[in-house]
Amino acid sequence: MEEASMSDRLPEEQNPIVQNANIHVTITYTRRTLLAGAAAATAAATVGTVITTMPARAADPISTEDLSAFVTLSAALTGIQDKQLAPGFDRAPPGSDSIDIKRDYFRWVKEKRSVAFEKLLGIAKGNPKPAAQAIIEQVQADPESKYLARSIVLMWYLGAWYDPDDLKILAEPPASPPEVSHKVISAKAYTQGWVWRVAQAHPMGSSDMQFGYWQRKPNPERPDFFGGA
Amino acid sequence: MADECKRYDVAIVGSGVAGALIAKRLATRGKKVVILEAGAKIPPNINDYMERFYTATFKVPESPYTPALFSPADSTLLRDLADPSTVNAGRPTVLSLGKGKWNDPKKSYLIQGRKDGDQPFASTYERVAGGTCTHWLGTCLRFSVKDFKMKSVYGQFVDWPIGYKDLDVWYGQAERELGVAADVRDQAGLGIPYASGYAYPMPKIPESLVDQAVADALAKLTEAERAMLGMDDPKKPIRVISTPAARNSQPYGNRRACAGNTNCIPICPIQAKYDPTITLYDVLDTGNVEFIDRAVANEVVVGPNGRVSQINYIRYEKDFKEPGQTTRTGCVTATVYVIAANSIETPRLLLMSKIGDREGVVANSTGLVGKNLMDHPYYVAWALMPKDRPVYPYRGPLSTSGIEDLRDGKFRRERGAFRVDIGNEGWNFVVGGFGGDPNITTRDFVNGMNLSELNSKDITGLDRDNAALFGAELAKTLNDLIPRQIRLGFLVEQSPVSSNAVTLSDRSITDGLGLRRPQISYRLSEYTRNGIAHAKRMADLIFDKMGARQFTKIPDDAFRFDGEIDGKKVPLNYTGAGHVMGTYRMGSNAKDSVVDSFQRSWDHRNLFLVGSGTFPTTGTANPTLTIAALSLRTADKILREDLR
Repeated sequence: MEEASMSDRLPEEQNPIVQNANIHVTITYTRRTLLAGAAAATAAATVGTVITTMPARAADPISTEDLSAFVTLSAALTGIQDKQLAPGFDRAPPGSDSIDIKRDYFRWVKEKRSVAFEKLLGIAKGNPKPAAQAIIEQVQADPESKYLARSIVLMWYLGAWYDPDDLKILAEPPASPPEVSHKVISAKAYTQGWVWRVAQAHPMGSSDMQFGYWQRKPNPERPDFFGGA
Repeated sequence: MADECKRYDVAIVGSGVAGALIAKRLATRGKKVVILEAGAKIPPNINDYMERFYTATFKVPESPYTPALFSPADSTLLRDLADPSTVNAGRPTVLSLGKGKWNDPKKSYLIQGRKDGDQPFASTYERVAGGTCTHWLGTCLRFSVKDFKMKSVYGQFVDWPIGYKDLDVWYGQAERELGVAADVRDQAGLGIPYASGYAYPMPKIPESLVDQAVADALAKLTEAERAMLGMDDPKKPIRVISTPAARNSQPYGNRRACAGNTNCIPICPIQAKYDPTITLYDVLDTGNVEFIDRAVANEVVVGPNGRVSQINYIRYEKDFKEPGQTTRTGCVTATVYVIAANSIETPRLLLMSKIGDREGVVANSTGLVGKNLMDHPYYVAWALMPKDRPVYPYRGPLSTSGIEDLRDGKFRRERGAFRVDIGNEGWNFVVGGFGGDPNITTRDFVNGMNLSELNSKDITGLDRDNAALFGAELAKTLNDLIPRQIRLGFLVEQSPVSSNAVTLSDRSITDGLGLRRPQISYRLSEYTRNGIAHAKRMADLIFDKMGARQFTKIPDDAFRFDGEIDGKKVPLNYTGAGHVMGTYRMGSNAKDSVVDSFQRSWDHRNLFLVGSGTFPTTGTANPTLTIAALSLRTADKILREDLR
């Protein structure tokens, strides 16, 4: 998505404040904000607020190895190229992307399902890319991994958390299933949902386009960001 | 008591489009105005609304606004819908219309389903600064000449006391106030005579790819098919035309052009679509207006001379009632009183008020207050385009075009007319409710389910039904299916029926302030049902011409009814258009109407009841522009006669 950061572009590894405290101090400006003036700024600032506040706690630092495994795992499961899910991450050392939703997601899953998540990361680490098919096969070997893998895919696609236990209830309904629901992880997560881009559209309520684009077909006419497997 | 009330030239109850426009006209002419708003004030910016929308699990029309839909507010379970008896200024919501909820007073603010055969009234509204047009689509069609003359032209219902000619100039002014984008030439042939040389403030909104696909299908209709659909002259084409909308096609009114956020309902993130808070800013800038938020008017007081002498209100602090909450009562007094509280809250306020100790008599010598509640019952149909013909929904404004050629015809002697709105939001609100798709379809293919009904091998070409996919297969399948989703909506003319009515709930059923809630009795007439049957017939025909596969579902719930098409019984249903109309109708004499054509109460000559509650019939156009035109006409009348 065509974001430009107004902050400096130092990789996080070189920025001690960000690296140590995991506090994001940058405000992200989308292309729309830059082009479109004050009214848009109010909307984009909503997302910006979340960007500044959501990780604002002294979380455990995430090792590059773990984050890399998470990106590899996510790319295999979602079918979206790793460099699209995590811009700059295909470089060595990895660059930072101004949205950086991957860290939010990593922490979210780790907090929800620490043990099963470790197992999934282990599968990714044991299958260096481009082994997407092998990863997909291995995550389905046991129900715990399988449903957590589905939760992770839905997180990337919809910016929302569908708990693995709830997905199991929905896929294999018991006699009298309890009501289940899902939770949007953050405003930032909603606006980063991949299903909108897969559908060649934009998140409802968050468009980077300009007046009249809807008369014309998307350009390119087919997505160019699908991954392997 | 009147001595203690603060005095103004005009007291207005409600800050929606009607109240805001009247306030603006009066305050810019130096009149002192007070606005009592039941809900929250205008926020300093829309950030909080956007945050609530983005993070809402159910992205229903009410989701950005207050009060919260759930209690606790962060719950995402429908069983935690807030109990309306705990909400100080409650409102109906889409989530409270579900099975087992619409007729449960612990879930639904409106008390419904008390009589055998009652069906749900399916439209909702807001109680917040800006009113329900905070979440409107923006459609700004004018009524046609015949929309005002149903009795004299078609022998149905009643005529309005005014005609198109009386409103023409006010329509033009309303179009400038709201900022409407449209092309007069497109509207030709719809029985809407514009003044010579009239031009809309902005060029029309361009048609979407979905619109273009529907236009191609309509071009394939035969003359016989057009006759069957009800065209008086079947030689004429049935067209797709850009819908007049209060949506900027270029910068206007210090607001920028639409960027196609596909989110007009519930909220435009850049305010390229008009909403009444824009007028309220102008109103407050005059320095002549006091805006009292969280102030629920609970009594219109009538003096011994038959004129309204004051309005009492209750002011609260928090959205939800807390144990032992303290509220304050207040009152305002004015030369002129305007109730602009929508077609359910206005009759509720009148019915709660007393003359002496008699309830239900204010402005109600006819007994008509609350009667003839109407909507444009909305029939929705959806389909999947053929594999090689995506229409790319979820792009552009929610709707850019419509089909208007069936808004009038001889068939109106027997059944309701309709207009068609073409959706640019795919299956967003038809599968799994508002904000349903693309979530539902995505979950289906990730988790091996089939709520969308797309996850079957004859559609996907996969080797199995209920496929659970990972990887590129998932991405490619969703990319194949979602851009092919299409949705059509039919807004059907509803007949006025006096037993469709707003009354007050039993005394034991109250809101958080202890006030009785609106109780609704409602069912669709034969005339309206037959209009819906013809809507289905047209939907089937259009999808057939498109080669699209239809997925329309009629669930077994309270919205379902049996209709008849060509002698065959077919299940049909409806939902709400959000067009609450008709509960204090205007007329040409005091015997069979509540207000005159200037929306002045026949009973109390310094009381105006405004908004779509005064519509004697629904017509076939979305009501907001007509509400706005009537409001400007009323403001002019007040300035010329009441506040000279």
